[in-house]
This record gives sequence, structure tokens and C-alpha cells, in this order.
Amino acid sequence: MVFQVACRSVAKRSFQSTARRSLTIPFLSTLPQAPGGVKGNVNDAYVPPPPHKTHGSLHWDFERAVAVCMPPLVGSALASGGDLGTVADSLLCSALFAHLYIGFQSCIIDYIPKRVYGKNYNYAMYLLTLGSIVGAVGVYKLETEEEGLTGVVQKLWTSEQKGDNK
Amino acid sequence: MFTSGLKRSVVGITGIISRRGLASEAATEVPKLKTFKIYRWNPDHPAEKPKLQEYQVDLNKCGPMVLDALLKIKNEQDATLTFRRSCREGICGSCAMNIGGRNTLACLCRIDTDESKQTKIYPLPHMYIVKDLVPDLTHFYQQYKSIQPYLQRSKVPEDGKENLQSIEDREKLNGLYECILCACCSTACPSYWWNQEEYLGPAVLMQAYRWLIDSRDEASAARKQMLQNSMSLYRCHTIMNCTRTCPKGLNPGYAIAEIKKALIPA
Repeated sequence: MVFQVACRSVAKRSFQSTARRSLTIPFLSTLPQAPGGVKGNVNDAYVPPPPHKTHGSLHWDFERAVAVCMPPLVGSALASGGDLGTVADSLLCSALFAHLYIGFQSCIIDYIPKRVYGKNYNYAMYLLTLGSIVGAVGVYKLETEEEGLTGVVQKLWTSEQKGDNK
Repeated sequence: MFTSGLKRSVVGITGIISRRGLASEAATEVPKLKTFKIYRWNPDHPAEKPKLQEYQVDLNKCGPMVLDALLKIKNEQDATLTFRRSCREGICGSCAMNIGGRNTLACLCRIDTDESKQTKIYPLPHMYIVKDLVPDLTHFYQQYKSIQPYLQRSKVPEDGKENLQSIEDREKLNGLYECILCACCSTACPSYWWNQEEYLGPAVLMQAYRWLIDSRDEASAARKQMLQNSMSLYRCHTIMNCTRTCPKGLNPGYAIAEIKKALIPA
């Protein structure tokens, strides 16, 4: 044990790398990392995370499918001058919604990885889920009570001047 | 008179010979001093910050490649300068480093002959540094080992000799087998910078693809299964720095895209 600790401290000292704190997000606690990023001895192979299709190929398929859907949906909305039906508008909203969710999820996995940030990764994911639920309710209201996403965008161009209302 | 004339002609001949012999060191030649700034860090003094040290090399007396300049500096100016090199012809992948902001092999990278510009040489980016230009590639090799880069078959051919494949199947391996694992592409990838402990990186994934499409290999299912998680493969966001930087002109980005396609039905 003493030997191991000694080895570890030597290993830590014998590599030069940028200080961890200049690569991590301030005020978020981080987990201790293996010296040199190396787990086990030099002849051990890297052990991948356990296989999980919903995080692997299926996730990627879904992401691609949504991304492929976006151009025609946005394109048709623009081409029609914003007069989409509620169904088409809901489709556009849902696709955009899924696209953003996956995008932010990817950002969290990249920049707040569980390996480094531990619990903070979970908190970030909870925050994303919470935001998504709020967003989903907002989209529902937009579709049922207002004129949908295209209606909102349309208003940006056609809104009345405040001065005229007086 | 005759003898003196003979003597003069002999002197004249030797003069020509000696002048020819000295031609390469003619005093009229102006030294072309090129400045190299090289990253230095010594593990014997771990508290000292890494620094860029300046060296000047006369390009007239130096080979054309950056590796020649590095060797010249090490031989003549500073024997403590540390870097890896072996084959000096781009086939071993030892001298991978960041030269002028681009990951490449020092032996394949020509010195920019513009003397007014400095050339900065750093080790491969975002790696743990052992000394000066020597990065620690242990984890990179661990990752390479994890993809089991060898032929896996349930049975050997009946004649006990070779596992044959068609010319077409062999051609699929072109552009993949040439990789020398210099780690230039992996260390150029931002995704690998942030998550190299879990993301395999372009170099290793290209080799994973090389074994995935080998018609003689029978372990495709296991090879694909290994990549079915969010980290090992799917941290690739097609940034394509890998393809841009590859000193051998290979295309790891394309190989990764092909793996993703191969995993769709799985």
C-alpha cells in the first residue's frame, strides 16, 4: 500500500500536463483521476463502458433521423410563408425539440462527463430533463392556445409598432 | 625557368583542387539562420514551468526536414533536448509532434525556409508529457490493445497455410492498413482532448474498422458490441481534424463514419 501510494505520487510528479483546474469548470466538484489517465498497468487493455444500444447505435440512429427531418420541416415552413397546419407545426416543434435535447445531452456528455464530475453530471442531466418538460408544456400551450411556432416567428415580422397603439 | 613554370602549374592544379574541396564551405555564403522555438520541460525539475527555448540553425548546413534540424540542435547545441525518432522516413511514427500548429511527423515536415518566421515545436497536444517533446502514449496503446487488433477465426484453413481472401476484399483494407499509429490524428481531435480516457479516438477507431471489414475475421459481432456505448465511438462529432492532420494522408474520419453506418442495423 505504501509502495502503491509512493508509486502514484512519483507517477503524478513525473508527467507534465496542464493543471486540471484550468481544464475543468470552476465551482463544480471533480473526482480524482488516475495519474497519466492510465488505469491498471501498462499491459492492461482499456475497458469500454458496458454495451447499451440505447446509448449507442439506436441513440445515433435517432439523432440522425431527427437531423435529416429538420431541413424539410423548416424548409416547408419557410416556403409556405408560415401558414402551416397545427399538425405540421407540431411535427416541426417536436423534431426541433428532440434535436435540441440530443444536442444539449451531447454537450453534457462531452463537457460534464460522469468520469470527471460524478454527481454533477447527473444534476446537469436532471436540469436538462426539467427544462425539457417545461419546454414541452410550453410547446403544447403554443400549439393549443396560440398559433404554434410558425405563428410566433411570423409575429416577429408582422408585430404592430407599440407607438401605433396609442 | 622550366622547372619554375612546372612548379607554378602544379601549384595551380593543387590550388584548383583545394578550392574545389572547399567549395561547400566558401566564405562568401551567408548563413541562413532559422529560429526554432521548442517546448522544454524537465521531469528532474518538476516545479519549473515548461518553457519555449530558442535555437538557431543554419539552414545551409542542415537537411530539409524538421527532424534534421532537431538532430542538429541535439548534436551541436543542446544534448539535453529530448524527442523520439527512429526511421527518419515516415514509417515508424515515433517523431510525431506539433510543428507550427499542426500535428505531423518531424521527418516528413519540411522546414519553412522563410528565416523571418520562427517555427514553434510542441509535443502532441493535450497529452501527459514525459519530457520535452515526448508524450506518454501508454493510454493510447491500451486503447489500441482493447480493439484486439489481430485476426480472430474459429478454424484455420485445411492446408494449414494462409487465410485467403479475394482481391476485392483485400482492396477494402487499402487506406486503413497503412496507419502507423503515430497518434497525430487522435491528439488533434477535440473530442479526444476532452474525453480521451473513454473515447477511443480516430487512430484506434480506424484500426477497429480495419478489423471489422476484414473478410477473414470472424469476430465482427464482438467488435461491434464493444463500441455500443455513448463514449467509445459516438464521441466522434465529425470534426475531421483527424483527416486534415494525418501525415500519411489517410482518412480516419471516413472510417469512423463507416463504423457508425455498420452499427445501424445492429
